[in-house]
Amino acid sequence: MSWAAVAKKDFKDALRSRAIWAISVVFILLSVVIAYIYGSFSADELGVEGGITAEGLVFFLASNITLFVSITALVIAYKSIAGERESGSLKILLSLPHTRRDVLVGKILGRGAVLAIPVVVALAIGAAVGSALIGAVAVQALLALLVVSLLFTFAYVSVIVGLSAMTESTTRASMLTIGFFVLFEFLWGIVSVGIVWASNGFSIPNTFPDWIFVVNQVPPSGAYTTFLYALVPGQTGNAADIDAFYGTPWLGAVVLLFWLAVPAAIGYWRFSKADL
Amino acid sequence: MAAIELDDLAKEYSGGVTALQGIDLEVREGEIFGFLGPNGAGKSTTINILLDFVRPSGGSARVLGLDTQEDTQKVRRRTGVLPEGYTVYSRLTGRQHVEFVIESKAVDDAADEILERVGIEDAADRKAGDYSKGMKQRLALGMALVGDPDLLILDEPSTGLDPSGVQDVRKIVNEEANRGTTVFFSSHILSQVEAVCDRVGILRKGELVAVDTVEGLRDAAGAEARLRITVGEYDADDVAAVRALDGVSEVQQRDGELIVSVADGTKTSVLTTLEDRGVSIADFETEEASLEELFLSYTNEAVEA
Repeated sequence: MSWAAVAKKDFKDALRSRAIWAISVVFILLSVVIAYIYGSFSADELGVEGGITAEGLVFFLASNITLFVSITALVIAYKSIAGERESGSLKILLSLPHTRRDVLVGKILGRGAVLAIPVVVALAIGAAVGSALIGAVAVQALLALLVVSLLFTFAYVSVIVGLSAMTESTTRASMLTIGFFVLFEFLWGIVSVGIVWASNGFSIPNTFPDWIFVVNQVPPSGAYTTFLYALVPGQTGNAADIDAFYGTPWLGAVVLLFWLAVPAAIGYWRFSKADL
Repeated sequence: MAAIELDDLAKEYSGGVTALQGIDLEVREGEIFGFLGPNGAGKSTTINILLDFVRPSGGSARVLGLDTQEDTQKVRRRTGVLPEGYTVYSRLTGRQHVEFVIESKAVDDAADEILERVGIEDAADRKAGDYSKGMKQRLALGMALVGDPDLLILDEPSTGLDPSGVQDVRKIVNEEANRGTTVFFSSHILSQVEAVCDRVGILRKGELVAVDTVEGLRDAAGAEARLRITVGEYDADDVAAVRALDGVSEVQQRDGELIVSVADGTKTSVLTTLEDRGVSIADFETEEASLEELFLSYTNEAVEA
């Protein structure tokens, strides 16, 4: 349980960072505002389909989560390993009975927990405010939102910690993590269209192929929303339009698990071989 | 069983820098071993290999009978380390640092006692980021003491310490050694090692050039003395005659003085030779070569040549 000691120390350390508190407070307030807006205006005013429902609130709250988690994970975790290598505090950590794997796992869990706190608080307050205004509580949908959001949080932190483990320079770690964020959260729409364009003989087809659904699930935040559809009753998202084995919102879960495990595994592989 | 066993240990970093070229060394259990050498000689590389921060490119290293790469965690459980070039966690207090070590090693030491031993009990609840350099070094030493380790590895422990801090380190090292702890102590400053160590190894450019007790080294240094003779008029033949004597290795001439490097026991023959040749001797004194000079001769090529 050596990773637990690392996680605990890391958690305590991060809790003392004022930046994390500030960004968390903003996020929680934003969540309340979003819940208030969803509960106070009509469907027409908000431009949402299917009217104001307790389930709809879940997706409204989720949109806030993706932005907050992705940015905050980057801020609190990009230096998690590279920074300790660069400054030399890793020497203290590793002269204790911790393996490099303990350090990596401990970092993911410790920083993930730091990020999970504002996520849970924001969801709880946002759900309470929104449900009170709507006058209905979608218990199952809200629990689904909580579970999927926590998975998303740890997956994102895992990606960033994994990238941080690949290098000994915080400059390079910041380039890697920002690059990841920009590619998958900003440019992926263009990449996705580009793939279709290239595979169609360098022209845009009239109807997009079904498999583009899979490409669109690659970004963690896309997978997050899709997975949410799998667990919220009465919702399927656009997975239902696709007549193929991958035409299921559970694809989102697969992708999130991929992000949870694979970058961290590659990061560990590089980290475990490195001369520190 | 040896506390540290290095067998033909070599390290070439990626990029072709050779840090260690085949080191054989055995540090016995319970001894205080001084690992000496100028900066860049390979001391930290050796220590980093003991802790598995760095992997050797040849040979092997065993600590407390355990392979450093196979049994890393066991090694670290029984070893206390004051690393070189570390930084503390600036947002955590001194006490939290020590508590983290206690938890990591799963021992039940009292954090307060440790902090008191290294003399920073008054700063226990301040953030370590606000500590002075010396206090950080004391904190790191305290962290190394947690769990009564079988082996203490101190990499340049005097860094950032004032003279009283250096003295405290010396005291703690002796206390630990009296409890049976092996202490492996690296430094580029001879005087810090000389006073506490049972044996000393001198590293130069990745090679171990001497391993001996401090007395042994001192004997080697003291085997030659320098005879400083204030003389009257003399000529080149007189100098040649002295140089030709058995046991004389060097004669330097300075205005009115001859400085003769000479083995023990041949001093008198130098003086009688000069007198016999009619050179007047106004005064003479003997200087023993210091350990420092010996250290320099081992580590400095110019002197060696």
